[in-house]
Amino acid sequence: MKKFVLAALLISSLGVAFAAATNGEPRLSNMPKLGLSAGKYGGTLTLSLPASPGSFNYYGITDNNTYTLIGNVFEGLVEYNLETYKMEPNLAQSWTVSEDGKIWTFKLRKNVKWHDGEAFGADDVVFTYNNIILNTEAKGNSAAGFPKGIKFEAVDDLTMRMTLPYASGAIIQQLRTFIMPKHKLLKYSIEGGAKPSDINTVWGTGSDLNEIVGTGPFKFSSYTADQKVTLTKNTNYWKNDAFGNKLPYLDKLEYLILKSPEAQVAQFKAGTVNALNITGAQFPDLKQGEVNGAAYKVIKALALFGSPPHLSFNFDAKDPLLARLFSNDKFRQAVQPAVNRQRIIDDVFNGLATLPGTPVAPVSSFYFNTIKYLGEFDLKAANAGLDALGLKDSDGDGIRNFAGGKNIEFSLIAPLDNAFFAGGPIATIIQNDLKAVGLKANLQTLQNSLVFSKLNAGDFEAGIYGFGNQPDPELRKAIWQPGGDLYYWHRAMRSSTPGGTPNFKLMKTWEKRIWDIFDQASKLTDQRKRGALYDEWQLLNAKNLPVIMIAKPANIAAVSNKIGNFVYNLGPIPGYVTNHIAYLK
Amino acid sequence: MFNFILKRTLVIFPTLLAVSFIAFFVIQLQPGSFLDSYLEDPRFSQETVTRIQEQLGLDKPLIVQYGLWVWGIVTRGDFGQSFTANRPVAGLIGERMFWTVEIAALALIFSWLIAIPIGILTAVRRNGVVDGLASFLGYAGLAIPDFLLGLLLIALILSLNGKNVGGLFSNEYIDAPWSFSKLLDHLAHLWLPIIVIGVNHVASLQRQMRANMLDVLNQDYVRTARSKGLQERIVIYRHAVRNAINPLISIAGLSFAELTSGSLIAATVLGLPTIGPFLYDSIKAKDQYVVITLLLLSSLVLMIGNLLADVLLAIVDPRIRYE
Repeated sequence: MKKFVLAALLISSLGVAFAAATNGEPRLSNMPKLGLSAGKYGGTLTLSLPASPGSFNYYGITDNNTYTLIGNVFEGLVEYNLETYKMEPNLAQSWTVSEDGKIWTFKLRKNVKWHDGEAFGADDVVFTYNNIILNTEAKGNSAAGFPKGIKFEAVDDLTMRMTLPYASGAIIQQLRTFIMPKHKLLKYSIEGGAKPSDINTVWGTGSDLNEIVGTGPFKFSSYTADQKVTLTKNTNYWKNDAFGNKLPYLDKLEYLILKSPEAQVAQFKAGTVNALNITGAQFPDLKQGEVNGAAYKVIKALALFGSPPHLSFNFDAKDPLLARLFSNDKFRQAVQPAVNRQRIIDDVFNGLATLPGTPVAPVSSFYFNTIKYLGEFDLKAANAGLDALGLKDSDGDGIRNFAGGKNIEFSLIAPLDNAFFAGGPIATIIQNDLKAVGLKANLQTLQNSLVFSKLNAGDFEAGIYGFGNQPDPELRKAIWQPGGDLYYWHRAMRSSTPGGTPNFKLMKTWEKRIWDIFDQASKLTDQRKRGALYDEWQLLNAKNLPVIMIAKPANIAAVSNKIGNFVYNLGPIPGYVTNHIAYLK
Repeated sequence: MFNFILKRTLVIFPTLLAVSFIAFFVIQLQPGSFLDSYLEDPRFSQETVTRIQEQLGLDKPLIVQYGLWVWGIVTRGDFGQSFTANRPVAGLIGERMFWTVEIAALALIFSWLIAIPIGILTAVRRNGVVDGLASFLGYAGLAIPDFLLGLLLIALILSLNGKNVGGLFSNEYIDAPWSFSKLLDHLAHLWLPIIVIGVNHVASLQRQMRANMLDVLNQDYVRTARSKGLQERIVIYRHAVRNAINPLISIAGLSFAELTSGSLIAATVLGLPTIGPFLYDSIKAKDQYVVITLLLLSSLVLMIGNLLADVLLAIVDPRIRYE
């Protein structure tokens, strides 16, 4: 079987990520390109967490606070390049792929040690995939990201082979998931004779922190419930900076647990917390402080992640008249010009958002620009579109009526406490503009988790919500592929059996085409062909409006002037941290 | 008296059972389930959700879930597992209990120490300048929500270049072992939550005490005491205050439970590691066994507080007998 070296290709086409220095040590060579410099050693960086972690076991829980902490302690085979957002080698030093795309052979990095001094090797990788990542009883497993029938085997101490049932274009994205130490977890695993669900019970927040060993730049040193998590430097970390200095620079990394945004800002202003993700609403106050000479800066980044809000109409609303109206593509196309995006960006986000693109983040290589399909805010056009649907205000009360005389009135639910956007104010602006075109929306603002529950159960008429952007559309297939588990505005198409094929008969022509696109793209390895398919999907979305995208919030952070090498390219997303290159000036 | 205490103690158990039963079914009225948070995460398949549902026993009928939980308490003293932390509920509550009790007790003592003297003073010097000022401050204290007071004080501290803006310790002392300097640091942080949580109670207690005193000062026995030629000080402290304070003892019994769960928003704003925000987060996450256990605890504190108040009342007031 002819093989070619993919890693070499990656390096030549995408800019050097890691290069071997003369002594063979891996270096973060693109630091100068990102404007980063060699840091000073020592000191403590203090950040905040919005709640206590639920566990220190990444695969035993679904909890953003756990993910954030674990990103400092554990590593995966590959990692994002902070400049190109492509996957680059991490614990895997290089890999080769067979011509049919099914067999991947990974060469693992030598001289990587767990925090307790044990050597890292192929056994750990195979153990983690087979016993934890693919174990559907683990509360935080990632089995859904891998095709059924995938196999992981150790070839020798530092070589691991992955065999896929079919070629998969986005599989590399999944390999970022963290590798766990076999010598610590064997006795809680299936392989070690334990029940599959036992893996959930290890490394709870009450456990001995010395038992939690990773390969990452930091290790846990203490935890005080609802107050603080402290991590200390891993002095044996394998990664070097671009200049040959060992990483990390910091001696200590602390997370203060601060539940309210007010408490976070207060601790930031007091100088205790060194960096903070903030929202558009907090921006004026902190920016004013910066202008008045406070020792921090407010920075804005077009980042990879972050949730753009959208407006959805339930194709399967309980009221049959509304269901028929909402599932009519022409209705949603008529409503789009009544969404005043610029006002929402100016008033709700304080200008710290841009026009939305597609469900793909603008910095992703899969992004296809469809801005021109958004049109302008134009109530006349919206009125004309609704008139053309035969929806007239027959009783003169200012609200359009269905043919039978019933007012077109529906509820609009929006989240109060979404981390990325203020659902209430957005919904109020939309409600007002819908009223101006004769549609009566009754606003209902609820907690984010309740809004999601109601939406995904189909218990709504219209809603405002947001799903996170991911670098590869395959990762968000459950949302955007019609019939998917999160394609909540047209639930009737979902399969009655989990994982089964959806009900194609209920799909609109464009929905069927999108389904096919996702199905095909997931089995292709040629990224250009995948890109072309996803371009077509983004265009279909922009024209047919399964949901109406509202805005893409910018990622804003406030950072103390003491902190150097603060990287914000990934945005405020749990599990993606760059504290190994941060330092104190 | 002994019979009374025994009877009241025995009543606690069926009451707790009823509370837990109602609480369990009220929690189920929340739309959605704990597992909804899983569905939104791109990593999870429907299969995982089903498996976890089985692991947590959420696939069993509600009455069976409830029965198993009660059985666990009775037979093993096990209050169930937290869904969000994969840990027994009791340990999670234990971690937060000390600070909750500390802050609640100190805030209660603070509010009594301030409110009772002010209440007495304003009743004796009725309609004077002090009374007017105290009433004004009292109304202001009642009207300003505790969390707002907390935010205002934080803003004040920040404008004075202070650092102690919430929490119970400075950053460097949180995980340090106990020492004298850690204690000092703790005290430097503690006054803020105690004032914020206590002030509301000061206002209402002070108004109560004033009203009781005015009531008592008009009684015949106070007139008799005065006409005997007793010093005014003795009339007030020995005769009036001792009678006026009785209703406040009953209030104190109730307020202990309120201090643990009632200061939720203030505790969140001030970043306190107490039960209130923990309960709120657990309700949001639909972590059912944590929620019921906390509600049980809160009812237990309430009932014990009431019982203690009744006993105390009998001790301070010889007219009250429970036989």
